[in-house]
This record gives sequence, C-alpha cells and structure tokens, in this order.
Amino acid sequence: MKAKTLKRIPLNIAALVTFVVMIFPVYWMVLTAIKPAKDIGAETPKFIPSSVTFQNFKTATDVDGFWDFWRNSLMVAVGGVGLALIIACFSAFAVARMQWKGRAPFILMVFIAQMAPWEALMIPMFLIARDQDLLNSLPMLTAIYFVMTLPFAIVTLRGFLAGIPVELEEAARVDGCTRFGAFRKVVFPLLAPGLLSTSLFGFITAWNEFAFANVLLFSDPKQDTLPVWLNEFSNGLTVDWGATMAAATVFMLPVLLIFMVLQGKVTGGLTSGAVKG
Amino acid sequence: MSASKADAVVATPTQPPRNDAPAGGSSSHKRPRRRGGPLRLVSPYLMVAPAILGIAFLLFYPVVKNAILAFKNYGRRDFTLGLSGEWIGLDNFKEIFQDSEFWEVLRRSFWFTAINVVSIMVISTLIALMIMKLGKSMRILVLISLVAAWAMPVIAATTVFKWLFRSDNGVVNWLLVQLGFESYDGYTWFAHGGSTMFVIILLIVWQSIPFATLTIYAGLTTVPDEVYESARLDGAGPVRIFRSITFPMLRPIFLLVTSLEVIWIFKCFAQIWAIAGQNGPLNEVSTLPVYAYQIGMQLKRFGMAGAVSTITVVILAAMMVVYFRQLFKQEREAEKA
Amino acid sequence: MKRRLFVAAGVAAALTGVAACGSSDSGDKDKPAASGAQSNAPADGKGKKVTIWVMKGSTNDEFNAAFKAKFEADHPGSTVDIQVQQWNGIGEKITAALASNDAPDIVEAGNTQIAGYAASGGVYDLSSKVTELGGKDWIPGLAGPGKVDGKQYGVPFYAANRVVIYNKEAFAKAGVQPPKTRAEWLETTKKLNSGDQQGIYLPGQNWYFYSGLLKDEGIDLTTKNGDKWKANVGTPQGAAAATFYKDLAANGKGPKDQDEKTQPETVAAANGNIAQFIAVPGELDTVLKNNPALKGKYDFFPIPGKEAGKPGANLTGGSDLFIPEKSKNKDLAYDAIKLFNSDEMQVKLAKALTYVPSKTTQVAALEGVPGAQAQALGAQNGFVIPATVSTNWGAVEETNPLKPFLTSVLTGGNPESEGKKADEAIEKVLNTKS
Repeated sequence: MKAKTLKRIPLNIAALVTFVVMIFPVYWMVLTAIKPAKDIGAETPKFIPSSVTFQNFKTATDVDGFWDFWRNSLMVAVGGVGLALIIACFSAFAVARMQWKGRAPFILMVFIAQMAPWEALMIPMFLIARDQDLLNSLPMLTAIYFVMTLPFAIVTLRGFLAGIPVELEEAARVDGCTRFGAFRKVVFPLLAPGLLSTSLFGFITAWNEFAFANVLLFSDPKQDTLPVWLNEFSNGLTVDWGATMAAATVFMLPVLLIFMVLQGKVTGGLTSGAVKG
Repeated sequence: MSASKADAVVATPTQPPRNDAPAGGSSSHKRPRRRGGPLRLVSPYLMVAPAILGIAFLLFYPVVKNAILAFKNYGRRDFTLGLSGEWIGLDNFKEIFQDSEFWEVLRRSFWFTAINVVSIMVISTLIALMIMKLGKSMRILVLISLVAAWAMPVIAATTVFKWLFRSDNGVVNWLLVQLGFESYDGYTWFAHGGSTMFVIILLIVWQSIPFATLTIYAGLTTVPDEVYESARLDGAGPVRIFRSITFPMLRPIFLLVTSLEVIWIFKCFAQIWAIAGQNGPLNEVSTLPVYAYQIGMQLKRFGMAGAVSTITVVILAAMMVVYFRQLFKQEREAEKA
Repeated sequence: MKRRLFVAAGVAAALTGVAACGSSDSGDKDKPAASGAQSNAPADGKGKKVTIWVMKGSTNDEFNAAFKAKFEADHPGSTVDIQVQQWNGIGEKITAALASNDAPDIVEAGNTQIAGYAASGGVYDLSSKVTELGGKDWIPGLAGPGKVDGKQYGVPFYAANRVVIYNKEAFAKAGVQPPKTRAEWLETTKKLNSGDQQGIYLPGQNWYFYSGLLKDEGIDLTTKNGDKWKANVGTPQGAAAATFYKDLAANGKGPKDQDEKTQPETVAAANGNIAQFIAVPGELDTVLKNNPALKGKYDFFPIPGKEAGKPGANLTGGSDLFIPEKSKNKDLAYDAIKLFNSDEMQVKLAKALTYVPSKTTQVAALEGVPGAQAQALGAQNGFVIPATVSTNWGAVEETNPLKPFLTSVLTGGNPESEGKKADEAIEKVLNTKS
C-alpha cells in the first residue's frame, strides 16, 4: 500500500506541472481582470494583486447592448453547433454502420470540407451573402457556423463510432432492441466522450469566431456577437486591458459550464456503459 | 498486398483479443447484412442528405467561387462595385511562383507544421496516458486546467502570451533571472525571428493540447480494462503495452487527431498575426495563410489571394493523401469483411 | 451619467429607426444635393435617418449627443444614429460596408486610409463642396491625404500629434527646464535618468516619432520617382535619425520590441517615476484614469527640433470623414458633414478630447486648454508622408516595416543596412499594382 502511494508521487508531480502550465495564462487573465488598473503595467510582475477590484467587470458589462450580444452569440453558436451535431450523428452512423454505394466519396468529401480555408472564403462568402440579400442576417451566420463545425463533427463522431465494437449493438438487437433502440441504449453512452469532445470543439469554434461576424454583420450594433464585444475596449491608441480581460473571463464561462454539465453525463455514461459491465 | 496484416489491424481497430464478446466468438468479424426492403436502402442516403446539402451550398460553392477568382484580376474596385473581374488565366499563379517570398514562406509552413504537430501529439499523448493513471481529484484538476486553457478566448490568450514575454516586465524574463539566467534581464523576445517563432509555437501548442489530449483520453477510456490486465499478467511493461495494445487500438483516433492538427496548423493565422503581425519580425515568421492575408486583406488583391488559398488547399490535400489511403483501405476491409 | 445620455440617444434612434427605413424608399432618395452654393438650405430630413460611423475614442458621448441634438433640430423629422465602431477589424468592416447596399451615410477613417477606400470606387467625390466647407483653411495634414488624384474624398475631422508629456516635479527636482533643442533634450533626459526614475519611457517602435526625426534630417520617408515609390530609411539621414532615437530611448526602460501602445499602463504603474513620454495629449487622460494619484503632476512641451525656436517635425495623425457612394441619403449626409466641419462642433470636439481642430482658424479658440498649446505649436511644423496618397499605404502602416527596423537598430543592428531592408519592404508594398 505504501509503496503504491510512493509510486504515485512522480505521477502527481507531473500532473501538478501540467495543471500549472495549462492554467497559468488563464490565471493571469483573471488576475489582470481583478487587479487595480495601476498594477497592470507594474515593473515587477505581481502574482497576487495588492487589492481586488470589480470595476473592470462593471466596465465590461455596462456596455450598450451587452445582453443583445449574449442573445446573438447563443443563437448563432448553439443553433449552428446543435444543428451540426444532430446532422453529424446521422451521417456518422450511416458511414460507420451501414453499407451503401457512395460511402467512400462521402467520407472524402467531408474530409476535403475539413480543409476549407475559412479565412480565405471571406470574400466569396460575402459575395454570396450580398447576392442572396443575406448580409446583416444572424441566420446566415448561424448557417456558416453550422457548416464550419459540421465536417469536423462527422469525422470525429465517425472515428469514435468505429471504435465501438459492433457486437455490442448486435447483442442488444438479439435481445430484442430495434436498431435505433440499440443505438440509443448501448452505443450512445459509449459515444458520450466523443460527443463531449466534439460538441465542446464545435461550440468553442463558433463561440470565438470574429472575422465573419465582423464582416457579415455591420449595419446594426445590436446584431453584434460577443467576440466583437471582446474587442470593444480599445480606443485606437490604448487598450483597457483590465476590462478586456474581465470580458474574456465572462466570455469563457459558458464553455466551462458546458464542460461541467457534459463531463457529469460522460462519467455517468461510462460507469453504466456496457464495456465495464 | 503485403500490407494486409497491417490493414487487418486498421480494419478492426478496437476489437481486442477477447473472449467475453457478448455476441459470442467467431461471428464477431462478420457484419450481418440485412437487406430489408427499399426503406433500408434509402435510409443511409436520407441520413447523409442534410450534410451533403449544407456542405455543398455553404462550403463548396464559396470554394469554387474562390477558385474562379484565382484566375481573375479581381481587386477592390471589382469587389466594391460588383464587377466580375478580368479573366487573366494563370497570371496570378505565375506571379506567385516567381515571388521568392512565396517559396520561403512555403518552406517555413512545412517545418512550422511539422514541429507543432509532433510536439502537440507527443505531449498530448503523454498527458492523456497520465490522466488515465491519476486519482479522481487530480484527474479533475488536470481536466479543468485543460478545458480552461481551451476556453480562453484567442484575444486574451495571445495578449497574455505577449505579456509573459515582454522584455521590460514580463513574467518569463523575471522568472529566468530569478533562476539565475541573468542574461535574460530585459531580453527582447520579439526582436528576433527565432525567438518570436518560439513564442508562437509555444502558444499554438499550448492552445492545441486540450483538444488533442481530451480526444485521445476519450479514446483511451473506450479500451476495456481487461485488455490491459491480461497484458500485464503476461508481464508486459508500460512501453510495450502502449506499443502493442494502446496504439494499435487507438490508431484511428491518433490518425484522426494528427490529420486534423496538420490541417489546422497549416491553416493557422490568428496566433502568428497576433504575436508578430503588428510589431514583430513578421517576414521571418509568416506562413502561407499570413502571406495570403497580406495579399488579400491588406493589398485587396482578392484574385491573387484566391490563388494562394487554392494552392494551400491543394498542398493540404496532397499531404492528406497518406491519410486518405489508410482510410480507404480501412473502408475496403470493412466492405470485404 | 455620460453613459446614460448615450443610451437614451441609442434608444431613441432604435425607436425611430423602423419608421426611417420604411419611408426612405419613397421620394427623392438618391439625389445628391446639387453642386455649389444653392444647397445652403438644410436638406429635407423628414423620416430619414443618417447613420454615422465614428471610431471608439474619437469622440465622446457628450459630443455625440450634442451633435445629434443639433442636427435633428436643424432637420426636423430626421434621425441621427451615431454608431461607435471598434478598431479591431475596422478595415475589413468598412471595405465590406462600402460594397454592400446597407452602407452607412458617413464614415470616419484615419487620414492615411482614405486613398485605399477611394480607390475602391465606393467613396463619394466631394470636390465641388470644398469651397463651401471652407477648405482653404483646412490643415494640410488632413486635407492632403483626403485628396486622391485631384478629387477630395475625405473631409478633415480632427488631428492630433505627438508631444512630450513630462513630470513637472521630476524636472524641478533635477533643476531642468523643458528643452528647446534636440541636443538639450538628450542632455536633460540623461540627467533625469537616475535611480528608480526613468529619464524617458520610449518603447522601441514609435514610428510616428521616428518619421518626425527623419523629416528633421531633411528627407521624406518616401519619395516618388516617376511612377515608382522609393523609401529613404537606409540613408545617412535615416541612420542619423535612428541613432538619435536609440540614444534617447537608452535613458529609460522602454521595451525595444514593442510600440507605444504599452505606454499608458506602464506610466500609470510607475507612479511618477517616468519623467517623460511621447504621446498625443489625450493619452494622459488614460494614464490619470488608471492612476488618479498622478493628477496635476504632468505637463506638455512640443517635441524639440534641431534648432531652438522651431519645434521638431510632427507627423499629423487624425481622421477624415467621407460619404460612401452607396449612402441612401447623400444630401442629408453632406449636411451632417457640414455640421461636423462647423467651428462650433470642431471647437467642442477639440476641447473635449484635446485635438487640433480641422481648420487653422479654429486653433485660437483653444487657448488655455492644457496640452492643446504644445500640440498646436507642434502642428505648426506638421507634415504628412507623401506616400499616404498611395492606395497601398494602409497596408504599409498595418504591417509597418519601420517597427522591426527600429527594434533591430535598438538591439544593436546597423542602421543603414537594416534601413535598406525596411526600404525594400516598404517599396515592395507601395509598388505593387493593386
């Protein structure tokens, strides 16, 4: 028993190092958000603030249209990514579990789609939106985020699905489940970690997207999304870093929240899953 | 083909040599083919139809439009006034291939991608394996730090990294001096191409680790414990277990993550731009997407930029051919089985 | 309080916005005011909305509210919607807006950016209005870059230039006065740089300051040779200017690889231990906001020139206003530009944000505004870089080769050979056909 504890020490040290390296920039961001403004440019770095202020959060959230930005961002990110996930589930299932002509070309298409140079597509996308009268339209942005995350979702879900033995499903069907029932009861729980990572990825991509939101929505400030808000605190000559970092801190909360919720589900899914039973 | 053994491994990536398969042994490699009526035939097409439609209209259409621009002289006037632009054949490509900067940037893009992807994959695999072995509280701690890093907005991450490496009051120089490296007092990280590149790579690796680690970790959790236990009973050490069990079983996931990282790093723009775009030695660290941005968004030569991005996609596709071949072998195997 | 005023304005704009959109389709929507003097009567604003894009920090909420109130009173039934734009990605956003059918009616852009937008064909030509707007009094640093190929696209909005902001107490303690010449300045700064106190906080990449030094050496950053642009950094003069920069910056801890954007928070944190820094006067407000304890400690003097009596050459920074070709209310938009251009609004804005107003005749009204005097003195020797009329100048500024050049000189590089590299980079961009 003791030997085992000893053996865990290097492992735990490695874990702590990983934790510190990964969290430090995030810590620095939060720290800057709660530092008094005059500490931000201090000559020797201050790891613990001399006093804590919430003024920066107030500055950040007092901005005109703050709640509109939330509504817009939630709509385009949750809408786009949710749609992508649902459609990707069907596609991934069709690809990983069914035989049909055209399956290989479909996978190829999805992979090529994954390589799309989005930054370079700004100009053609703008032209298309202009021709279709879809400039300054939140649904258009939602559709773009949907396609931006869809290929990735199909590819990863297919990968995870391929990793789940078919026999499990078959066993369930032998036991009298329908194909869909087998998928829901057996495969889905096993797919949970994959879904977690896929949906987090998709959400983070859409939640952070700035370039398209900046160029496709310009006529009404009420249509702006949160990434646009993150850039609010510069006056051209200087940047209010305290407010920017406070905004960034608030901005990443939903991602953490989604992770917490999904993580709970995943752990539950794992323990009740068929693999361990 | 001589590679058939490897193919078999790929084809059945996560089917462990187990004897407790629920459906019972020998039939496990055979997929039952149930062709039950027209509905069953139609349904896979129905299932992929929305994806095909979405990708066709919102991705391939603009990609094709972009590729057409590559053969045009299409600048700010054409864009603003809605003109179609003058058709100039291959002139854009000729001009790009004659630009010595293009070749320099292209070469850099390759090694930049290689360094990043290798670092990301090695570090992420190690962290994922580590997480598997951790106790519950430590595991949650590490997971939280990963997700926090991942969730940190790009603007905040790039700014903080720039601060950390500030010459006058940055944490990194301060720390190095505390550790006795006096020469780092006031060291200017962004004055030289090499050290700027180092910071950029550090930033990108740091930002990419969460996704790669969480995905590999998710893959690891699907490997049944019994597999490891029986290997351990056979006296296999950790390296051997990884080489002969974990890696082969998770091969699809590793391939997937590697190829995605190659694609993303090769297309990476925001980080390079944020670190070096406004006040760094940009011409010593720029890669293809930065080159395209300068031509397109700064000089408004949208046709030329279309050509550069088309070249980028072609190069990416060429790099991915290796992956596609694997993928198709896997597909064929699956069909044969 | 400020914020509330603006919110109220915003709500009003939003409420009337719907009606405005509906009726703008009818009637004489696209007809620009006929040329010349007969358009003195205010344009009919009934049910119309003027959308104005100003940059964040260019104006303040009080000014916006005052402008809106005045314009709406002069044009009964009209609505002004001032939309404050942020800096990040603004080039792309304006480019997109100019190409769309929902363009705003007035856009503010940096004086050096006008040429690029004008070349797109999306900017309305205001040449026929110059006389009416009193263009002969416009400060050349704003009017010049707003004029491309003989056509006036940009109307001067405001200018700002760099001055030296100094700590009065530190100067008194060291027994020195604000210097009159460059040589004196260097000496003073050396004296001030002692103990914990930095003589000057000068980050390595202040290219505005560097181009002034270059101008003082007698040459322009760029010159035109036939139809090709030439850059002049890798010359003996360019090297002399860079050497002075380096000598001056050595009297402090300004980071050699950063630009002046790091200044306000660093100065605020230094608690008065930074004796001087170079900035536009308005930047002091940011410093004082971050560290109110510094109130009253700092004052201004113009950047010294080579000889006493003539301040250093000063690159004119600032903004112009223009009307997009796709604006649906050009006559109303023009009236709004006229109001921006008026003495009343110009002086109000210049006082509020410590600017140089757009006309030389308006400067007198600024007497007693702290910082304004030093800035106005500097503005007397203001200049613009000739290549700002080039379509590609915006691209030069965005990835400015002068910044890595200055950094490499400050970290020990040879000014002339590094300068030649910078010249090459600048010329490559300027001489690209686009």
